This record gives sequence, structure tokens and C-alpha cells, in this order.
Amino acid sequence: MGSGTKPARSLAAQERRFALALFVPALLVLLLTTTVPLVYLGWTSLQKLDMSMPWLSGFAGLGNYAKMGGDPRFWNSLVLTGVYTGTTVVLQVIIGLSLALLVLQIPKGQGLLRVAAILPIVLAPVVVGLFWRTLVLAPDFGLVDLVTRTVGLGSHNWLGDPQLALISVIAIHTWQWTPFAFLVLLATLATLPPDVYEAARLDRAGAWQRFWHITLPLIRPAIVMVVILRMMTALSAFAAIFAATGGGPGSATEILNLYAYRTSFTELNLGYGASLAMVLLSITMAISYLMFRLRRARS
Amino acid sequence: MTGRKPFRSLALAAVAGVGLAVWVFPVIWGLLTSFKTERDVLAYPPVWFFKPTLDNYREVIFGASSIMPNLWSSLVVSTSATFFTMLFAIPAAYALARLKYPAKRASGFYVLATQMLPPVGLIIPYYLALQKVGGLDTYSGLTLIYLTFSLPFAIWLMVSYFEDIPFEMEEAALLDRAGRLRTLWYVILPQVRGGIAVTTIFVFLNAWNEFMFAVVLGGNRVRPVTVAMFNFISVEQTQWAKVAAGAMLAMLPVILIGLFAQRHIVKGLTVGAVKGGGRR
Repeated sequence: MGSGTKPARSLAAQERRFALALFVPALLVLLLTTTVPLVYLGWTSLQKLDMSMPWLSGFAGLGNYAKMGGDPRFWNSLVLTGVYTGTTVVLQVIIGLSLALLVLQIPKGQGLLRVAAILPIVLAPVVVGLFWRTLVLAPDFGLVDLVTRTVGLGSHNWLGDPQLALISVIAIHTWQWTPFAFLVLLATLATLPPDVYEAARLDRAGAWQRFWHITLPLIRPAIVMVVILRMMTALSAFAAIFAATGGGPGSATEILNLYAYRTSFTELNLGYGASLAMVLLSITMAISYLMFRLRRARS
Repeated sequence: MTGRKPFRSLALAAVAGVGLAVWVFPVIWGLLTSFKTERDVLAYPPVWFFKPTLDNYREVIFGASSIMPNLWSSLVVSTSATFFTMLFAIPAAYALARLKYPAKRASGFYVLATQMLPPVGLIIPYYLALQKVGGLDTYSGLTLIYLTFSLPFAIWLMVSYFEDIPFEMEEAALLDRAGRLRTLWYVILPQVRGGIAVTTIFVFLNAWNEFMFAVVLGGNRVRPVTVAMFNFISVEQTQWAKVAAGAMLAMLPVILIGLFAQRHIVKGLTVGAVKGGGRR
């Protein structure tokens, strides 16, 4: 070793060959299973491809994209996507962080709470949607109605009324994924050095000040990470909404992801569905790019 | 000050308890419902004490609407997806974590980017392509599309485990003129056994819970249990007890897995994001 450049170079070449032999198979699989299909998706989005009217199929150029401009259902889905993603992410972070801060103060039983938090996360979203549709939100017999009837607020059609349905699907998503924010933030808070708090306490900083000026800046990377991951999940949320409302009533809970799905597989208009999926793809990519840039600038 | 402390911690525990009961209660309620008769389900006010029945389970296991074939479908798809995922992910992750090769950073970023793809963007081309080659309603079709979300995930999770091993071990092995492949097989892999187990578990769990791909690309032959649950509710609108029994059966594996792997769950959930994009 180190006796000359030649063996070192051949060693590096050997390492490179070995690395490529290990990495290239997975790379090829990813190219074939994700990137090639995406190119095909882009191509499909330029076609008129309606399975209910197959005789009209053909190249449409940017026709599908132009159609979106005058499609109120598209704009509605875009707004709903914003509302759904924004509200669920904010709720998850606020509730998750508050709970984590609270639980951290409890000397015993943290392990038990952690186990409880895992339960919603491991359940299949479609089962969660079904559970809520039947046992939790059904009029008259659901858990929520039992509570509202007991306290005198009366029975409501939680999934049948357009506004309540939107609130309901937001609640379902928040229920299932807040444990994620809670667990990640709890783990982060537990790693903070205790001496900074001691110093602050000696400075007679109040609890709120300590949180705002010490804790929050320290856990900001974790919060940003939670926000990124939760946004990705919310943008492509599907099964729970599909099982609970199917996107309805009407299109009251039809976020862009569901609109693209319904257009493609309920109305069988795969060309237009593909262009909607392309829009969702661009939004997802743009957001993750911005978030990563933001995070790298900070750190 | 000292007099208020027990009260304060009691109040804290109460608030946290309520918050967490909200997560557990619907599941407990589902479990109770699965042992009720359909009449008890619709009783008002709800009954806490009732004569438990196993009829619902008997029905979803042996009855006309048995979900056993669906559990089998889920098992086959999830197992094969997990097998192929690990087969490609482990070597790739080792290269990404430990070795030098051209365009390494870009390739790591590429893997991460594929993890961000919205499934609806993949399902349309897969549907069209599989329809052409007769691949709809087949295990291989579903397995293939499951790789799209499990492979990037598994690669990044395995990278984090490979990075935890001390460099000295493989250097010592390499100095002993053990070949690189032998070093990987006999020295490195035994070190990441735990990581392989955790990754396998998560890949399996995600495949088991998948719904959108299964509902579009599956059919009468290949119908995973998530799709069966969905069909259940549309066909048997009011038979909640049976739905609950089916759901409990379908979710039993993932609940057990979750409890078993609970200490690793945070790592599994945040994989890639911790270092993603910012790797050197």
C-alpha cells in the first residue's frame, strides 16, 4: 500500500468496478419501473385516449392541458389539494409537537404512549377509511354521533354533507398521521442537551420563552423534515378518502390525486387522467425541490 | 411549588392520556364490534357488555364471503415484492454507503427522487402496458409496480444501517486479501442483520397495506385483502360486525409487526429525509 501510485489506482478502479456491479442492477430496475413509465405517462398525457370512446383516440398535443383551464372540477381539486395538504400538515405538526412536549414531562409510561401511537400508523389507510366511515362517522350509530347526540349537538351526516365531508377526511388523515409527527418530534426532543435548559432556567427565562428561543430553533430541522414527508403523503393521499367518501359527495373531497384517478379509472379517460397526474407530479417535484433547497440553505 | 407538582403531572398525564386514547379507541371499538351480533352493533345506546360471538370470524374465514383467498393474495404479492426489493436494495445500498464510484451523489439523489413519485402517475402507464401484454390480474404485474415504492425506500433505509458499521472491520478484511465480495458476504452482512430484518419488515408492511395499485391492477384472481375489505363495504353496506372481523384479521399481521418493530419505527418512517439531498 502506498508504495506507488499504480497499485493505488488499480485498487480504486477495482473498487469502482465492484461498486458499479452492486449498484447498476438496482439502478436498471428503478429506471425500468419508474422512469420509463413516467415517460410513457408524459406521452399518454399528449394523447386523446378515452376508453369509453376509443374511436376518437389520437394525438392531441397539449389539448389535455389546455382543457384544464376551463375545467372547474380541476380548479376545485387544486383548491381542495391545497386545503387538504395545508390543514392536515399544520394540524399534525401542532398536535404532534404539543403532545410530544407534554409527554416529555411525564416521568413514567412514555413507552406505553409510544406503542399507542404506532397503532394508527401501521394500519392500512383503506381500512382506516372504512373504520371511520362505519364505526366512527356513520349517522346515528357512529362514535362521533354518539358524542354529539349526548352533548345535545344532534346527529349529522358527517360524510354526506359537502362541508362536513371535507372536515371529516381531514380529520381522518390527521388522526392516522399525527402519531408520526409525535414520534419523530418526541425522539428529537429527547436528544436535546439538558444543559441549555439549565442555563436558561438560571437566566429566569419563562417556559414559553425557553420553548420559543431554545427548543424551537433546535428542533427546526426535525420539523422541516416532518413537514416535507407529511406533505408528500398528503399530496398523494388516496385510500382513506376513497374508502370514506370516494371523493364525494359530488366532488367535495376530490383532491387532485383522486380526480386523476377517477378520470382515468372510473370515467376511463386515460389521456386526460394522465395530464392531471402530470400536474400532480410537477407539484410534488416542485415542492420537494423547494423544501430541500430551503433545508440545505439553513444547515 | 412542591405542593402543586403532583397535581401538575396528573393533569399532564390526563391530557396526554386523552390524546392517545383517541388513537387507540377506534381500534378497540372495532375489535369489540367484531365480536358483536349485527343487532348489538346497532343498539342505542351502545352496549359495552354483550354476549360475544365468533360468528363474524367464522363467516369471514369459512363463509361465502371468506377473505382467506385474499389474505393468500396479499401474502404472495407482499412476499415476492419484499424478496426482489431486498435482492436489489442490499448491494445497491452498500455501494451507496461505502464505495466510491462515478456520479454517486447524483445516483443517490435519483433514488430519493423516485421515492417521491405520486402513485397515480405510475398506475396509468402500468395499466396501459400490462393490459397490452396480458399482465393485469397477475402476481408478477403487481410485484413489479410494488418495487417502485419499496426499492427506493429499502435502499435508503439500508444505507443508514451500512453507515453505522465501523470502517476498520472491512479494512482489516481487505488487508487479509479477502476479496471484496467475500468481505461483503462474511464480514459486512452479518453486521447489518438487524437492519436487514427491520427493512424487510417495513417493506412487507408497506406492500401489505397498499391499495391503489391493487385495486386497479388486481382482479378476480389476484385480489389482495385491502381490496377485499373495500369491496366488503360496498356489497354488505350495513354488516359492520363482519367488516370489523375482516379488518381485524387483515390488520393482525401489521399490528403484530408494528409492535415487534416499534423501536425502529421512527427510523423507518424518516428514511432518506434525514440525509436526503444533502449527502456528500
